[in-house]
Amino acid sequence: MSRHSPRALAARVLAAVWQGARLDEALSKSASGNFPLRDAALVRELCYGTLRFQPRLEYWLTGLLARPLDAREAELHALLLLGLYQLSEMRVAPHAAIGETVEACRHLSKPWAVQLANAVLRRFQREQARLMTELPQHEDAYYAHPRWLLERIRADWPDRWREILEAGNQRPPLTLRVNRLRRTRAALLEELAAAGIAVQPCEFSADGVVALEPFDVRTQPGFAAGHFSVQDEAAQLAAELLEPRAGMRVLDACAAPGGKTCHLLECCPQAQVLALDNDAERVRKIHQNLQRLGLSAEVRVADATHPDTWGGGRSFERILLDAPCSATGVIRRHPDIKARRRSAAVSASVAVQARMLTALWPLLASGGKLLYVTCSLLVEENAAQVDKFLAAHADARALPIAAHWGVALPPGRQILAGESRMDGFYYACLHKA
Amino acid sequence: MAKLTILHFPDPRLRTRARPVLAMSAEVQRLAADMLETMYSAPGIGLAATQVGVDQRLIVVDVSEKGNEPRVFINPEILARAGTETMQEGCLSVPGVFEEVERAASVRVRALDGNGQTLEFDADGLLAVCIQHEIDHLNGKLFVDYLSELKRRRIRKKLEKEQHAARSASRPAAPAI
Repeated sequence: MSRHSPRALAARVLAAVWQGARLDEALSKSASGNFPLRDAALVRELCYGTLRFQPRLEYWLTGLLARPLDAREAELHALLLLGLYQLSEMRVAPHAAIGETVEACRHLSKPWAVQLANAVLRRFQREQARLMTELPQHEDAYYAHPRWLLERIRADWPDRWREILEAGNQRPPLTLRVNRLRRTRAALLEELAAAGIAVQPCEFSADGVVALEPFDVRTQPGFAAGHFSVQDEAAQLAAELLEPRAGMRVLDACAAPGGKTCHLLECCPQAQVLALDNDAERVRKIHQNLQRLGLSAEVRVADATHPDTWGGGRSFERILLDAPCSATGVIRRHPDIKARRRSAAVSASVAVQARMLTALWPLLASGGKLLYVTCSLLVEENAAQVDKFLAAHADARALPIAAHWGVALPPGRQILAGESRMDGFYYACLHKA
Repeated sequence: MAKLTILHFPDPRLRTRARPVLAMSAEVQRLAADMLETMYSAPGIGLAATQVGVDQRLIVVDVSEKGNEPRVFINPEILARAGTETMQEGCLSVPGVFEEVERAASVRVRALDGNGQTLEFDADGLLAVCIQHEIDHLNGKLFVDYLSELKRRRIRKKLEKEQHAARSASRPAAPAI
């Protein structure tokens, strides 16, 4: 049997993402799991990296090709981009990067493309110094974000857009959340350090631990035993802001995969939690997480915008609304967002967020608190959305969030991606009279 | 050690059903060493004796990351199969062709190792695919046999053309006038 080609497989995964698949799903569906570990890691790195820098790589590729590729040649297109990614960002010896990428044409059953791939990659190598020098003159290539997103972030954050975009191109850390019902953070830190994993306590989340090098959590027995979960520090701030107390009725309206649901139960196991999500496939993940962590909640497949179908006249003292959004705050973690999201999708999420706020507000008990959360950096989904809601609801008031993280806004608080290694999140606490 | 010549599809010798190895000998061990050398230089991750024109049930495999875990299996048999898995395969006897093939996801294998000791083990992932691919060779079967008739014919034509071109190229050129 001849040797398999991680590069050909990565090109297929990228083509699937361009067809609309999510990167993590396309990767797990691919055969890379059968590869030796190092090759599977290479497939992953090529896919994440190429998507992370795609606007830049596209810009270069357009200049290197005598005429554009046929639109049907998505796999070849992907292969050329990942070739450029290796030459510009990875520490692969250039001759190996070019040789293996060119060879992958055969694995894609496109032997006719060998010459083309060879010519493109060698020309890049020859002209790399000039191309790199000229890069800052081409904004979307330099910042490696799609033009529409670059413009929106610049408009929303006129003083900080550069650092936001640069943070969007970084690799995110692996952050863990200790299950305080089973372990103390100090004990978890010790256990991981004893296993040779370099870890530090998080700055703002009392339950957070950040790994200095990524590792496969499944290799640590504590993971299956429910001692810890994987969750970014910014997302770990939700439980504390929501302040659940024993016996309180708590609604987690968009709960899948259940990270925040589980955290608030770890903080307050006697809370009566109802967790909803409208995606049956992802609701299964909520059950899995609850089970692994030894927690219990009522879980339903339901649409938060239609409480008549699941509410049954119930009211809640706490509502967590982790609303669907552009996910622009987690672009470094899911670089496929750059390729998959269009500006029209932002208007659609804005409309859904408004509908959810309006639909859930009547379910909040008087004196209760609704925590509105997004992983977006866009004002329209965050402060402007909450502002609009406050203007239309006389019984709603935004509580100031006293914290050392993020930027205080009227109303709410924004964490910009990369601040203290956190994802970009927005939080607003709404109190009902 | 010596590098051996790998037969290419559609060479009829690839259709031979190989005979069991009856006795471990220095000759069998030399064959295994030569096949490993041939496999590594190809480069490949598995090679069956049939592919080098030897009528013996012997395969060599190395699916490790660094290519430093050679394994020799003599008279290999699959005792049990479980699940299915689709993976893109390529074959040193069908150069330049890579197609998806569905096989068992995991297999239980019995074989003799290079010293004639009996082994019995479970394999999954790439190792399972590779062992099934190589045992197929010992039974005269190629991975292209899993493809459609049309696809197989196209591959055969393409390889015949390439082989013909290679033969013409190796003829001495006519002297320039």
